[in-house]
Amino acid sequence: MFKLDRKLAVLAASATLLFSAANAMDTGATKKYDFNGKAIVDGGVYYPVKNGKTGPYYVNPSRTKHSFKGNWRLATKNEIAAWDKDVTPTQHPPKGKGTVEHGEELYEAQCVMCHGDFGSGEGSYPALSRGNAYDLHKTMKNQRYPDPEADGPVRVFGSYWPDASTMWWYIQSGMPHPNTKSLSDDETYALTAYMLYINELRVDGEVVEDGEFELNQDNFLKIEMPNKHGFEPVIDGPQGQENSRKYFNNAKNFGGIRMADFDDRCMKNCQKKSAKVVSIPEGGGIKDFLPPISVVRDLPKAEGPFDPKAGYEANCVACHGGFLSPGAAEWAGYTGKGMDAVVANAIKGTAGGMPPKGGNADLTDEQIKQIVHFMVNGK
Amino acid sequence: MSKNMNENSEVVETASNEIDSEQTSRRDFFKKAAASVTALAGTSLLASGDTGKDDPLIMHHVKWGQKLGDPVTKNRYGIPSPYEHNNVRRNTSLLASGNWQASIAVTPLHESEGIITPNGLFFSRSHGGTAHVDPNEYRLMINGLVDKEIVMTLNELKRYPSVTRTHFIECPANGGQEWRGPQFNSLQFAKGFMASAEWTGVYIKDIIKDLGVSPKALWMLAEGSDNSEMGRTVPMDKVLDDAMLVWGQNGEALRPEQGYPVRLLLPGWEGNLCVKWVKRLEFAAEPFYAKEETSKYTALKKTGKAIQHFYANEVNSTVTHPSPEKPWKGQGLKKGDIVEIQGIAWSGMGTITGVDISLDGGKNYVPANLKGLVLPKSWTRWSYIHVYDGKSLLLTSRAMDDAGYIQPTVDEETSVTGVEAVYHRNAVETWEVTEEGEVNHVQIRS
Repeated sequence: MFKLDRKLAVLAASATLLFSAANAMDTGATKKYDFNGKAIVDGGVYYPVKNGKTGPYYVNPSRTKHSFKGNWRLATKNEIAAWDKDVTPTQHPPKGKGTVEHGEELYEAQCVMCHGDFGSGEGSYPALSRGNAYDLHKTMKNQRYPDPEADGPVRVFGSYWPDASTMWWYIQSGMPHPNTKSLSDDETYALTAYMLYINELRVDGEVVEDGEFELNQDNFLKIEMPNKHGFEPVIDGPQGQENSRKYFNNAKNFGGIRMADFDDRCMKNCQKKSAKVVSIPEGGGIKDFLPPISVVRDLPKAEGPFDPKAGYEANCVACHGGFLSPGAAEWAGYTGKGMDAVVANAIKGTAGGMPPKGGNADLTDEQIKQIVHFMVNGK
Repeated sequence: MSKNMNENSEVVETASNEIDSEQTSRRDFFKKAAASVTALAGTSLLASGDTGKDDPLIMHHVKWGQKLGDPVTKNRYGIPSPYEHNNVRRNTSLLASGNWQASIAVTPLHESEGIITPNGLFFSRSHGGTAHVDPNEYRLMINGLVDKEIVMTLNELKRYPSVTRTHFIECPANGGQEWRGPQFNSLQFAKGFMASAEWTGVYIKDIIKDLGVSPKALWMLAEGSDNSEMGRTVPMDKVLDDAMLVWGQNGEALRPEQGYPVRLLLPGWEGNLCVKWVKRLEFAAEPFYAKEETSKYTALKKTGKAIQHFYANEVNSTVTHPSPEKPWKGQGLKKGDIVEIQGIAWSGMGTITGVDISLDGGKNYVPANLKGLVLPKSWTRWSYIHVYDGKSLLLTSRAMDDAGYIQPTVDEETSVTGVEAVYHRNAVETWEVTEEGEVNHVQIRS
């Protein structure tokens, strides 16, 4: 009996040891790259190839001994020019110009239905302005805690983005959302000028407040963005990657906890006395789930008849909540050529920014027709 | 046989008629039974309860057991059983940017098994809708600070020696609704901005070794070909480590929602960095300040400064069973029954090395067990065997990785970041299990 007990004790001890070993499990990871001897850029680990394996995966070492130049051809200059269109703080936008006034016209025609008047973000598309950029920049330390009703930080183009180059590039490559890459360089300057105007930003010391103001490739470089230095780590210049490496290898910078030995972690009485359970307030939780959450295993129910009102709410309300909304009087200006023409436009989309079928290709032409009739008649 | 049936006719009625009316025509008995259809619930109770009665589902032939099944020619591409129709991606208008294009649909983690997400359930997030790319018209360009600026077709790209890796992809906004307190009483919405797959593609380092990359190149822009031209800047060291261009997902071509035909895969890093429908890689000496690395995906700290170029998703974990969607309530558990508490742990910085479980909201912890494959930058399953005692619990899991990181408490994390960061929330999560076995999302804060 005694022997057996001792055996059990030894077994228990080795089980404990095993667990410790599991915590210090040898995954083959290193905290430095083998190709440059530096710490891992994201603060994590690296798996060097050892005995033909990286971590748990075998690799074919022969693959690095050959050139695969037969797999590609050289790009032509024109091809590179056609695709390499990025605009950055160091790669400036091309030659061109545009005024605030022209930008406002473009905005009213192609942007307002989603981004709201003066970029207010009515509906749920992102706001582009909330007022004076320099005033709003002072909200960056605002915290909606413990008071959830407090004013939070305002993160819009003027108050938050570090560089105007991002806006120029964004507009030209990704806007307007349903018809991207359709704006000329001059139009992009004009819309960017309008963005400066609604955010009350300064260019070369002067607030943009005049519709005649013209933005061009020269004064573009003199836009004064208030949050230019609001970001860390500093990634510009030849030390940029080194700054990232240093930043992410100090867990305190991002609220992480990095331990030398997990045996030191807290296992008993780890909480302050003031710790309390915070629950979702009655009815305050988010329940707007599509489709509703269910784990029932039954056969799907047959779909009921199509409901044009629900179709409108699922596909159209974001842009049409305030513009050509159901039953709006302004529809009279669009129905002159008959309802069939309105339906046809809704199906194929319009130059004014309406995507084909409101952006939902799954809708049938008949369903679009029903939605259009609902929207024009308001019932 | 008929005698037996008659003895149990009441029961047989309930078991045989709720779904398949076709069979009722076969025998008079079923015809008669069809007139008095009762709820399926009665059968379930009988099957699980200790009533001493025989289960008609065993005593009688099941309806699918006596007729021919589908031919193998049906569903050339297989689909799930129709009974699984609730196992789907879900969305909410709260997480839509005006439309369902610049939006997200999240993975049903409560129905996920193992460490692989079926392709049809992989969470889907894009900035301009799912693009449909013709693979024959696909081109990849590599330009910038390289001696040879090149173009490739899809077939040419696929000629490189392939590598296959299992990694999760996680949106850094996963859990981001919960900074100021618990919001989503749902595992799918609280943690489902992620999914995991086995990816096949080529290491980018294997391509660029032939191109003469300038030593001045510190960054790589990856740009999508979709309408938003989603772009992100990647540091060179990640390119030289494990960055891949992938075309395979769980043994087949990428799904359109995942960037068909080619996406960037940066193992462990923010999902949005893993640019989909990727068309161009540009090497440069300076970062690009693309739209989604300033307007979004920057984490504002309480100091008023925001972390930019935040890369790896930190060590994290969740309890999947039980969870708000999969509570113990209704499972017929009795005191003394054995029940597995299980979940997923993951880290974008390395390999999961352990998970602790707390039954009292993080006051006291005990080690749980890992199970299945434990891979770098991958979902890892963990398990804890619990004796059900009908008492209320506060279930909190806490994961560790081989880089030395351990999940912070809510207080520890917010003391540095504040509550306005939106992204990269990895504090421990707590489910409250009530005496009735309901599960609710709560937080422990001081």
